[in-house]
Amino acid sequence: MDLKLGADELNTCVQCGLCLPHCPTYRVTGDETMSPRGRIKLMREVQLEDAPVTDEVIDAFATCVQCRGCEPACPSGVPYGHLMEQTRETLADAGQMTPVWLRAAMKPLSQPKLLAAGTAALGVAKKVGLVPDRLGLGAADIPLRQEPLPTTGTDVYLFTGCVMDTMQRDVHRAGLDVLTAAGFGVTPTGAEAPCCGALQAHAGLTDETRGLAEKMMRSLEPERPIIVDSAGCGAAMKEYGHLLGTEEARVFSGRVFDIQEFLADHVDKLPTVEPLDLRVAVQDPCHLRHVQRVHEATRVVLRPFVRELVELDDDGLCCGAGGAYSILQPELAGQIRERKLGSIDRATPDVVASANPGCSLHLGAAGVDTIHPMELVAKAIRT
Amino acid sequence: MYRYAKLRNRVTRTFGMGADEVAADPFIADLVAALSPDRVKSDGAHRALLSHDASVFDGGNSGPVVFPETTAEVAAVMAAAQTHGRNVVPRGAGTGLAGGAIPLGVPVVVAVTKMDEIHEIDTDNGIAWVGPGVVNLDLTKRLGPLGYHFAPDPSSQQVCTIGGNVANNSGGPHCLAYGVTNAHILAMEVVLPSGEVVMLGGLDAEPAGYDLRGAFVGSEGTLGITTKIAVRITKNRPEVRTLLLSFDSVTDAANTVSGVIAAGIVPAAMEVMDQRITVAVENYVNAGYPRDAAAVLLAEVDGLAAGVDLDAERIAEIGRENGATNVKLAGSDEERALLWKGRKTAFGAIAQLAPDYYLHDTVVPRSKLAEVLQQTYDIAERHDLVIMNVFHAGDGNLHPLILFDARDEGVLERVHAAGAEIITASLDAGGVLSGEHGIGVEKQKFMDRMFSSDDLDHQNRLRQAFDPGCRTNPGKVIPTGHSCADIQSLRSIPKEVWA
Ligand SMILES: Cc1cc2nc3c(=O)[nH]c(=O)nc-3n(C[C@H](O)[C@H](O)[C@H](O)COP(=O)(O)OP(=O)(O)OC[C@H]3O[C@@H](n4cnc5c(N)ncnc54)[C@H](O)[C@@H]3O)c2cc1C
Ligand code: SF4
Ligand code: SF4
Repeated sequence: MDLKLGADELNTCVQCGLCLPHCPTYRVTGDETMSPRGRIKLMREVQLEDAPVTDEVIDAFATCVQCRGCEPACPSGVPYGHLMEQTRETLADAGQMTPVWLRAAMKPLSQPKLLAAGTAALGVAKKVGLVPDRLGLGAADIPLRQEPLPTTGTDVYLFTGCVMDTMQRDVHRAGLDVLTAAGFGVTPTGAEAPCCGALQAHAGLTDETRGLAEKMMRSLEPERPIIVDSAGCGAAMKEYGHLLGTEEARVFSGRVFDIQEFLADHVDKLPTVEPLDLRVAVQDPCHLRHVQRVHEATRVVLRPFVRELVELDDDGLCCGAGGAYSILQPELAGQIRERKLGSIDRATPDVVASANPGCSLHLGAAGVDTIHPMELVAKAIRT
Repeated sequence: MYRYAKLRNRVTRTFGMGADEVAADPFIADLVAALSPDRVKSDGAHRALLSHDASVFDGGNSGPVVFPETTAEVAAVMAAAQTHGRNVVPRGAGTGLAGGAIPLGVPVVVAVTKMDEIHEIDTDNGIAWVGPGVVNLDLTKRLGPLGYHFAPDPSSQQVCTIGGNVANNSGGPHCLAYGVTNAHILAMEVVLPSGEVVMLGGLDAEPAGYDLRGAFVGSEGTLGITTKIAVRITKNRPEVRTLLLSFDSVTDAANTVSGVIAAGIVPAAMEVMDQRITVAVENYVNAGYPRDAAAVLLAEVDGLAAGVDLDAERIAEIGRENGATNVKLAGSDEERALLWKGRKTAFGAIAQLAPDYYLHDTVVPRSKLAEVLQQTYDIAERHDLVIMNVFHAGDGNLHPLILFDARDEGVLERVHAAGAEIITASLDAGGVLSGEHGIGVEKQKFMDRMFSSDDLDHQNRLRQAFDPGCRTNPGKVIPTGHSCADIQSLRSIPKEVWA
């Protein structure tokens, strides 16, 4: 079957295997079908040799977290993320992947009212113990009511997104405070730009993603930098250029900055304050480290505001959250998280700083004290 | 590399078929009983993927794939294979370059990747007991805070397993001073083809009896499966100096290497890369490698501060005497790490230049380095091929790398012909067949250039002492005519076996 993969992209892999240890699913299974090298080879078997798309083949693709840890590890520059997104798109179109219920579940993400209602309902449900543990939401706090975010100026946009907006408005507030403290007037995007399309892109729902990207591009004023405090959303928005293939989209992607990335160039503008008395471990979300590759910025921004920064010893291996992954592949997500927990234990931090809501939720559900780096900085500045 | 494989062998035939046959196979039933259903895989996807390793060779045909977690499970798999008269192939991370893990004769593939526990670290005696699936670099990372590391450091160390290192007696840049894997293995628990579990070697300085441990190291999976390994751990080096020397010709670099050794200096590592490969590497790592030098020499010395500074100065001097155009000392640990990252990912970085490559591995006497290198360039030119050289210069271990695009008509014949000439040139210069990648299926046909007929028969006898039925990784290392296996028929699929 033609997976519609580019012949050259598919061919860059020399099957050396150097990516294997950077793949969370290979790490926990030791199984070649759950490795980047194996998945690429299966794509080739299917596209070039017309191998049948068996359950095992689907399973190999479906178990990929799309963390893209394999990309920076690959000396040949194999564009794995694109290959996997295209594979999923083709298989989803053919009805062989991404079940209907998942497509339905993603609808509310792009419709703020529905989502707000959904999260509120989830919040209530959780309070009365209705949410099954397999959703991994056990320890997360789902707020029932929300204060709106103020606009402090028009220098930059702060992207507030969908899941993030309703579940983690405190993070936006912290980001807004820190940006403002650095002298930037901030406009929260709010309902104008409801959804970045990251989860849809991962599920292979490329048409939906394109629609959302176009909508977002239309609704935001040109030229203003767009600051994003969720690593997954930032990564998706930086890919619009590739996704839509237009010059306009590429220019738009060029305006997107992760909030840590943006502030790393302006730390000197932030006030000098007493650092928080905390030992903080930095957990790099995959979409910050492997996709945007700006994870060093988190350290630059955090360093002046906490007593001690510690690194985890797993070379940025994924935590297993991966968008909807922890819900779709609970068993593997759990095993991958176990590895991360071991690494966190060895680092003995007071708190773990993570710049992605998915990671925070996933680690939080296992009892890890997580906080967004911006909340730490905001706290240090406020006190 | 991929299409190259495809041209000769179509894996599709094994794909997604035979579910009923598989279910009915009593061998599978025994494997499932010995392990658990989720750790015995007989679907087409698994078998297609595990029919390959990182080499350009194919013709592999995997039977069921098992993922044991304990020695007892490996023994049970061996016993079941014995009962059913089936072949067995051990497999680590599948990064071998000589085709050692390619399954011939539809064997059960025993992937030991789940046996990745570091059982014990004993710094008092400098020993660690590890599972065969432990990744080389993981052990070094775990030892780091204790002030130790595992010395063999193949360029694939971030992914290859210690079991694979043992089987291939692998080397790495720093084996110049510390010795290859063999020097770091004290004892091994081994499951013999009969299913019996034995201990080879021992922790005493002079274990009694024949050195069967030594026979097993480098046996490429043909004598049994190692399930637990006692490795020597090495104290971290107090001081390290890393030099990067640039040259106008590969010959100048090679002469510098000979000069350093002749001066009585024993560097921890000496690695040479020619211009093409240096540029590819620099594009990937941005470590500060010069793009305009015809060759670079990466030299490292370690030891006490006073000594390393002196040695570093001497090496710089010898380099300049041999025409070095630039000598740079790595200023920080980060810089050093980046330079090494470049060297260690060199082969992978090649894909920027061509979709396929064939990496060779031969050893020549150091004094002949410059001469044989020039021959490799000449051979490539004669065959209208592009060749690059990157090598462990300190021990004369060459890695000529031929670039090609398998889509070009007739290119494979030229690649193979050039390869054979390179091997011949190395042997003629008084060298040997393989520095570290092993023989596997790659160099079998050259074995009789190195060994007499008697030698080969004796090697086969040693093998049969361990594996009388010739069922463990059959068809590897020992060539047709001397091998206990009928290599030709291993490549076809016996009628009675589903595949
Ligand atoms: C990019 C790259 C760079 C490389 N650089 C180097 C280098 O610098 N130096 C070097 O020496 N090699 C190098 N290699 C080759 C390869 O990495 C080594 O040979 C390595 O030791 C193989 O380990 P593995 O775990 O991948 O073994 P595999 O490829 O899985 O197996 C190799 C052989 O070992 C046998 N085997 C595996 N496990 C066991 C076991 N438990 N018991 C018995 N037999 C077993 C297999 O049957 C097979 O014959 C490189 C390879 C690549 C792809
Ligand atoms: S994806 Fe890259 S690192 Fe992985 S096997 Fe292919 S070429 Fe090697
Ligand atoms: S994206 Fe992540 S899970 Fe998927 S193959 Fe790459 S490293 Fe593995």
